Amino acid sequence: MTVNDKLDNKFGGASVPASQLDSSFAPPVDASCRVPLLVLFGGAALWLVVSSLLALAASLTFHMPDKFGDCSWGTYGHLQPAADDALLYGFCIPAGLGVALWIFARLGRTPLRGALVPVVAAHLWHLGVLVGLVGIFVGDSTGFAWLEFPRGGSALLFFAYLLIGLWALMNFSGRPAGAMFPSHWFLVAALFLFPWIYSTANILIVGWPVRGVVQAVIAWWFGNNLIFLWTSLVGLGAAFYFLPKFSGRPLQTYFYALFAFWTLFFFGSLRGVPSGAPVPAWLPTLGNLNSMLLIVPVIVIAIIGWKTVVGAAGPEGKDSSYSMIRFGFVAFVLSALLQVAMSCPQFARLTQFTWFGVAQTQLQLYGFFAITMFGAIHYILPRAVGIEFAFPKLIRVQQGCAMLGLIILVASLAAGGVAQGLKLNDPNVAFADSSKAMLMFLRASTTGLLLLLLASLLFALNIFAMIMAWHWSLVRAVFAAVVAPLPKTEVKA
Amino acid sequence: MSEPAPSTPAGAELVSDRSQSPMWIFVLTLTLLYLGAVYFDRHSGWFDKDVYSPYANAAMLESYQPKSGAAMAAAQGRRVYEQVCGLCHGADGLGKPGQAPALAGSEWVIAAGHNRLAHIPLLGINGQISVAGKGWNLGMAAMGASLSDSDLAAVLTYIRTSWGNQAGEVTADDIKNIRAGLGGHLQPMSSDQLLAMPE
Repeated sequence: MTVNDKLDNKFGGASVPASQLDSSFAPPVDASCRVPLLVLFGGAALWLVVSSLLALAASLTFHMPDKFGDCSWGTYGHLQPAADDALLYGFCIPAGLGVALWIFARLGRTPLRGALVPVVAAHLWHLGVLVGLVGIFVGDSTGFAWLEFPRGGSALLFFAYLLIGLWALMNFSGRPAGAMFPSHWFLVAALFLFPWIYSTANILIVGWPVRGVVQAVIAWWFGNNLIFLWTSLVGLGAAFYFLPKFSGRPLQTYFYALFAFWTLFFFGSLRGVPSGAPVPAWLPTLGNLNSMLLIVPVIVIAIIGWKTVVGAAGPEGKDSSYSMIRFGFVAFVLSALLQVAMSCPQFARLTQFTWFGVAQTQLQLYGFFAITMFGAIHYILPRAVGIEFAFPKLIRVQQGCAMLGLIILVASLAAGGVAQGLKLNDPNVAFADSSKAMLMFLRASTTGLLLLLLASLLFALNIFAMIMAWHWSLVRAVFAAVVAPLPKTEVKA
Repeated sequence: MSEPAPSTPAGAELVSDRSQSPMWIFVLTLTLLYLGAVYFDRHSGWFDKDVYSPYANAAMLESYQPKSGAAMAAAQGRRVYEQVCGLCHGADGLGKPGQAPALAGSEWVIAAGHNRLAHIPLLGINGQISVAGKGWNLGMAAMGASLSDSDLAAVLTYIRTSWGNQAGEVTADDIKNIRAGLGGHLQPMSSDQLLAMPE
C-alpha cells in the first residue's frame, strides 16, 4: 500500500458517489505535479519565514525606535513594505499557484505535462521576489503600496506568472469533457485576473505614469483586486475543493457557488477607493456601494460553508488540514464583513487613518489565505512527493501557533484601531496622544507576530525536510541503480 | 437539504449538489441593488469631476458658492492671489525668506491709500525696499499687468483685508484710473519713485 493509498483511505473518498470511487488516476496525477510543487512551495516557505522576520522587526521599531535606525534599510519604511510584499508575492501567490496547478490536475484527472516549464517559471518567480525585496532595501521602492517592487522584479514576476498560468490552463483545457467543478471557475478567473491588474498597474503607475490623482486611484484599484479579489478567488476555489472532500458531503450547492462567483467577481472588482478619499465623490461612492453589496456573496458563501461542513461526518480523527481550511473559511467571512462595515461612511470616519485597515488586511491575507494554503499544502505535498512529513506532530503545533498568533495580531490591531479612531475624532485630544494610545495594542500585536514567526519556522521545517528527503530518495535511487547486480542476460554477453 | 443529484458528469473528481435555486437570493440581491442605486444617486454627484465628498452634487456645491457682494469679491481675490501671488508671497501672506517679503502687516499693503500699492503689480519693482523694518533687495515683474481691472482690484482688496490686515477695499474703477494715469511708463518702479507718489 503506497502513501497515497493510505492517505486517501483515511478520507474514504466519501464525497464521491460509489460509481466514481475509482481513484487509480490520482497517483500519476499527483506525481506529475511533484517537482513544480516542491519548487513553488519550497520558495514560498522560505519567503514566509523572511516575511515573518521582517514583520516582527518592523513591529519592534514601535517599541524600540532606535534599534535599527542607524542603517536606512532597517527603518520601518523599508521593513514593513518588504514584509508585506514577501508575504503576498513570496508566499501567497506561489502557494496559490501551486495549489491551483494541483487542483486542476486532480479535478481534470489529467497529469501535468511538460512540468519543466512551471519549474523554470517558479524559479523565475522566486528570483523576481528576491530582486524586488533587494530593490526595496536599497531604496528602489516605487512608493505605491503593494507595488513597491522595482521594474526588474515586477517584469520577472509577470512573465513567471504567465508561464505557470498558461501551463495550468493547458492542463485545464485537457480535462475530459464535462469534468467541471465550481473550484474551476474561481481558479481560472484568478489566473486571468493577476496578469491583467498587475500589468495595468505597473504600466500606468511605474512604467509610464499617468498624471496626478489617477495614480492613487489605480493603486487603490490594484491593491483591492489583488489583496481581496485574487486571494478570495484562489482561497475559495481551494476551500470549495477541500471542504466537500473532507466533510464527505457534496458541495452545497452548485447554484449557490455559481451565484457567489459572479457576485463576488462583479462587486469585488469595482471597489478599492476608500470612503474618505480626496477624489471626486463618485469614486468613493462607487467603492462604498460595491463593498456594501459584497454582503450578497458573503451570505451565500457562508451558507455554502455551513451546509457543506456543519453536521457532516468528516474525516476519521482530527485532521489538521481540515481544521485549517475551516478556520480560513471563517476568517474569510469575517474579513469580508469587516470590508462591508468599513464601507459605511459612519464607521469609516472612525477607522480611517487608523490600524483598523491593517487588521482587516492581515485577516484576509494571513487569517484566510495563508492558513487555507497551509491546510492545502499539508494535504497535497505528501501525496505529490510520495513521502510523509518528517514531523507530523509539529503540524498541530504549527496550526495552533498560526491561529493563535493571527487572532492576537488581528484582535489587538482592530481594537487599537477603534481606540485610536475615537481619540482622533475627539478635538480635545492631541494628535500625538491619539497615536500613543496605540502603543499598548502594538505591543500585543508584536506577541502575535512572534507566534506567527514560530508558525512560519515550523511550516518551513516540514517543507524543507520533505525537499531534503526527496533529494535523498533521488540519490538513493541513483545509487541503487549503479550498484545493482547486472541482469544475467548481460553477464552472459 | 436535498440529496445529491446523480447528474454530475462522469469523470469529475468531486460533485456538487444540483438542487434548485432558491428565490429569496434574487429578491435580496435586487432589493440591495435598488437601495444601492438610491445611495449612488444621492451621494455620487453623477460623475461630476468637481464634486468632492462631503458634497453630494453640483447643485449643493453651487449653493455654497458666494453669489455677489463682498463674499464674491473675496472669493475672486483669493482665487487670483493663489494663482498669481501666493507662490512667492505664500498662501498665508507671510512671504518667503530671500524670495518675497510678507504682505501681512506690510506698511505698503495696509497704507491708507492704495495708489502706491497698485503700482507695484502694474509695473513691477526693483532695487532696495524696506518692508516692516526689514531691508529687501529684489525684483518683482509686473505680475498684475495682464490681470483685468476687476481681478486686480479683487486681489488687492484680498491682501488688504486678509491675515489681520484691515485696510480699505480697492474697486475696479480705481484700477482703471491708475492704469490710465500710467501713460507710457512701463519700467519697474523703485522704492524712491513709489515714495514720491501720493499714497
